[in-house]
Amino acid sequence: MNGINGKTTEETNVLIEVRGLCKSFGSLNVLENIDITIRKGEKVAVIGPSGSGKSTFLRCLNCMEDPTGGEILFEGENLADRKVDINIHREHMGMVFQQFNLFHNKTVLQNIMMAPLILQTKREIRETARAQVEKRAEAKGKKHNRFAMWWLCGVERIKVSKRVKEQVRERVKEKALNLLERIGLSEKADAYPATLSGGQKQRIAIVRALAMNPKVILFDEPTSALDPEMVGEVLDLIRQLAEEGMTMVIVTHEMGFAREVADRVLFMADGGIAEEGTPEELFGNPKNPRTKDFLSKVL
Amino acid sequence: MGKTEWQLFYGKFIKANGYRVVLRGLVATLEIAVFGLLIGIFIGTLIAVIKVMPKYKRLPRILSAVCDVYVGFFRGTPMVVQLLIGWFVILPAFHLQLDSVAVAVIVFGLNSGAYISEIMRGGINSVDPGQLEAARAVGLPYHTSMLRVVVPQAVKNILPTLGNEFITLIKETSVVSFIAVVDVTKAFRQIGDSNYSYIIPYLMLALTYLILVIGISRLVKLMERRLAKNERH
Ligand SMILES: Nc1ncnc2c1ncn2[C@@H]1O[C@H](COP(=O)(O)OP(=O)(O)OP(=O)(O)O)[C@@H](O)[C@H]1O
Ligand SMILES: [Mg+2]
Repeated sequence: MNGINGKTTEETNVLIEVRGLCKSFGSLNVLENIDITIRKGEKVAVIGPSGSGKSTFLRCLNCMEDPTGGEILFEGENLADRKVDINIHREHMGMVFQQFNLFHNKTVLQNIMMAPLILQTKREIRETARAQVEKRAEAKGKKHNRFAMWWLCGVERIKVSKRVKEQVRERVKEKALNLLERIGLSEKADAYPATLSGGQKQRIAIVRALAMNPKVILFDEPTSALDPEMVGEVLDLIRQLAEEGMTMVIVTHEMGFAREVADRVLFMADGGIAEEGTPEELFGNPKNPRTKDFLSKVL
Repeated sequence: MGKTEWQLFYGKFIKANGYRVVLRGLVATLEIAVFGLLIGIFIGTLIAVIKVMPKYKRLPRILSAVCDVYVGFFRGTPMVVQLLIGWFVILPAFHLQLDSVAVAVIVFGLNSGAYISEIMRGGINSVDPGQLEAARAVGLPYHTSMLRVVVPQAVKNILPTLGNEFITLIKETSVVSFIAVVDVTKAFRQIGDSNYSYIIPYLMLALTYLILVIGISRLVKLMERRLAKNERH
């Protein structure tokens, strides 16, 4: 992996590096030339007035919006490059939405299990089949050409698919049930999202992201659509994840929460990061007049 | 309607085993409508998913143009014409040996595919975009996200419309005798033809369609209620 200044990303501990990120919708320039580095384990809060591009910035990090310029280096790979398979990287970047976006047609348990089940089954069938074919070829001291390999692996996949499927399902289900237990919603496993409260939905959306073992979770105003009495339970869960060392980028209007949890706060305005610093610096002693103005309105 | 009309019909329908022809015709009608619908749902879903794909790559644009031509043709020409072309033009041109019911199934499938694609597109657009986003955000590919998350919800939304499409399809099958299929319409006509008495056969025919259509409406209602319940608990 190629990192920054010739060092590997392991050494610098950088998880995401954004270089010169630009995003425009038609003639509307929403983001202009954003540079920011997010290290492993860091908690970054993003604040700013409505329409300043916070969501757009967050959604560019996993290319839910395709950047119109610049680079998003995730573990050294440039996600903004269309040739990169974005799906593989998204598996490692959880995302939590303001409107929860639980799958309406699936039960709670199915919501959590679906993606890992599909993706891991596919991957493991492919890998198991290949390993089997290679092992057998080695035992016979043969070396297959590319076509023979392709054919034999294809046949082998059909043979191993049932067994691998069951193994993966066991494992994924156990993990999903553990996650549900963790948030105290085990008895909702077979309920449909329509029957749950907002707080329950959002906590399930968070563990749905966790089920993929992400390296970072992107939160877009996770509590803004909630009734006040449910904000606490969701923030508690996010706080727990923070304490466990999860890397997070959180767009939020909860200034108190940002102050408490974040290692660094970004204030966005006019298509860029107008000011950044530790919560003490940014909330206690803002330098940019726009930051002062904004904070005086929301605090 | 004199007594003789009934006697003529009774003689043909029961004594001369006319009911067997009618039953076979009924089977053909249902076969064409049911398999036509299934093919139509498959093709319609495929076209709809292609049409709602993001268009900044070349392949989706080409596929989308192909779909436009397809839908344009099948919506722009009468069903009967499509049947005639299938049976008298395509089949001989490619030296294909297919029985006429199979041809009718294929033509009805292709035709309803064009209509269902529009219905399905409406259904897909009615699904909250957040659903697709959430699926894409965990790393599922576009087609998997569509088929596992968006399309099932779309189908639920358009179930009543799909039911209507099925009803339309059943009624439209009455033209298949143009390519020598003996469906219910043709079967009852044969009974009428045999003694030049059409009143009762044609009234019976209307009643048959009516019963089919009412039955299907009931079934669709039942399915809707089932799916709605699914969502609650
Ligand atoms: N898909 C889109 N097409 C066109 N314009 C968009 C799109 N998404 C966002 N915008 C515009 O980009 C600007 C920034 O939007 P964004 O949602 O990123 O702001 P935000 O900081 O998240 O605001 P809020 O606090 O209200 O969520 C806004 O002017 C918005 O209208
Ligand atoms: Mg926003």
